[in-house]
Amino acid sequence: MTRLPRPTHGLILLLIIALAVASAFPLVWMVLSSFKTPEESMQTPPVWIPGSLNLSAYGAVSEVIQAGRSLWNSAVIATVTTTGILVTSLMAGFAFAKYRFRGRNALFAVMIATMFLPPIVTLIPLYRMVSAMGFSASLVGVILPNLANAFGIFLMRQFIAGVPDDLIDAARVDGASELRVVFSVVAPAIVPAIAALALFAFVYHWNTYLWPLTVLQGASEDYPIVLSLGRLLSYNRGAMNTPLVMAGATMAVLPPLVLFVFLQRFFVDSMVSAAVKG
Amino acid sequence: MPRARLSPILMIGPAAGFIGVFILVPMVLTIWLSFHQWSTQTPFSTAEWVGLRNYEDIFSALSVGRDFKTALRNTAIYTALSVAILLPLSVLLGLLVYQRAVAGGQFLRTVLFASYMVPMIAVALVWSKLYAPTEGPLNQILGWVGIGPQTWLAAPDTALYSLVLLNVWQQIGYFTVLAVAGLTQIPNTLYEAARIDGAGPVQSFFGVTLPLMRRTLLFSAVIAIINAVQVFEPVALITQGGPAGSTNVLTFHIRRVGIERSQGGLGSAMAVTLMLALIVTVFAIFAANRRGGRE
Repeated sequence: MTRLPRPTHGLILLLIIALAVASAFPLVWMVLSSFKTPEESMQTPPVWIPGSLNLSAYGAVSEVIQAGRSLWNSAVIATVTTTGILVTSLMAGFAFAKYRFRGRNALFAVMIATMFLPPIVTLIPLYRMVSAMGFSASLVGVILPNLANAFGIFLMRQFIAGVPDDLIDAARVDGASELRVVFSVVAPAIVPAIAALALFAFVYHWNTYLWPLTVLQGASEDYPIVLSLGRLLSYNRGAMNTPLVMAGATMAVLPPLVLFVFLQRFFVDSMVSAAVKG
Repeated sequence: MPRARLSPILMIGPAAGFIGVFILVPMVLTIWLSFHQWSTQTPFSTAEWVGLRNYEDIFSALSVGRDFKTALRNTAIYTALSVAILLPLSVLLGLLVYQRAVAGGQFLRTVLFASYMVPMIAVALVWSKLYAPTEGPLNQILGWVGIGPQTWLAAPDTALYSLVLLNVWQQIGYFTVLAVAGLTQIPNTLYEAARIDGAGPVQSFFGVTLPLMRRTLLFSAVIAIINAVQVFEPVALITQGGPAGSTNVLTFHIRRVGIERSQGGLGSAMAVTLMLALIVTVFAIFAANRRGGRE
């Protein structure tokens, strides 16, 4: 970096603070509004900070969106999908990194290309296929198509390539099967990368909306929290119900946000390495 | 290794199976269906060959064509604006995060990236409130600095831009992190050489930083485009494509036609058109980058 003249330091600090405030504002406002009473919410000029930590909006919204059930469904979808992605990505990433076979680069290229395909392109036939399999309107239908993805394979290949061949060969000499090599020798050597992929997959599938909306059509007992939030739309007119709507949004936002804040080192580093190595 | 011949198949099998069945097969089916008349509620076997008629329809002067062309144009505007704002902004924010002269860079990164981690559907709900015409916080804040209330999502000529602003807010943290990754790859010796040559901060930014960020920005542009064409939640939840079709974007429109109205053939033709438009755009960017690199 070029060295900056002293007086600009203050300006830069001011700029950083201003940008952080602007960026954090929507989510901070969401949380603050969830604690307001309907009266506070309707006042003009608006009340920015609620007078007390009033939790009644959370109680009210929990019934509207069946919070317990919805959060559980989200957790099941995100956890099972993430587990599947970890297993398939580790195995395929290992093969692409450590085996030599004909067609390897072509196959890898085809798989990676799917990373750049927007889901809407395949949505219509995919919906029909999953319905024909009898999995529409069920959690199986939500989870099944997402048990492998190109990003995971790519990330695992990048990191497994750095695992020494000697380590792998030593395990083989000891009689370990290839699956054992992957899960008992290679996996422990790349824990940070696996943690990153797990977090990324969990958050992505906690947040994703288009596919569950399409496949679950009306099966509301299977709705993840992001779909249940759609029910708040009828409460979205006027300011009176703002605390209720914001309480619902906060409940959906909190799990991925907390995961991110505590584990952001893994997250950000894996994003960076994926970009730099790619 | 005697087992090496079988192992690749066993190891890649599960991943290839899922990606093949749930991504590649539907992709081929989308292309196939685009030449057929087919109701999404019936088996694929009921599809009737109609040649290019779906494509003629979606580019015709009929309402089917008008709606699709509006969605295509809205998506193009939304995508172009998103990229045009996200890329330069990500470099500026990247410089702020990367610099070590003033504390707070890492904190800024965390705050920016946090909004990328939260569900878009919740974000859409929050922003629909922020944008509210009278009691909405954004208009209140604008009022403090003497700017009159804006229409935001409520008027056809501002709704799409309001969605772009929402998108920039949500995604900027991710692109800032990519920009920082690009910045860390620039060797310090180049900056020192520039300084010895008498370059100031501005000159070394345009002479060293930007040229060496080329690969990063190319990658960012491609990802930003792919992300932007996926805009769905705020449209599906808040605007329903309105007012007056001004926020009708492709992901929303294709789903409405192909799933809700069960016009699977028409929807597939639209999806194929989107895919082709993306391929052409990405190739054009790579070609432009090549040409720029040679000069």
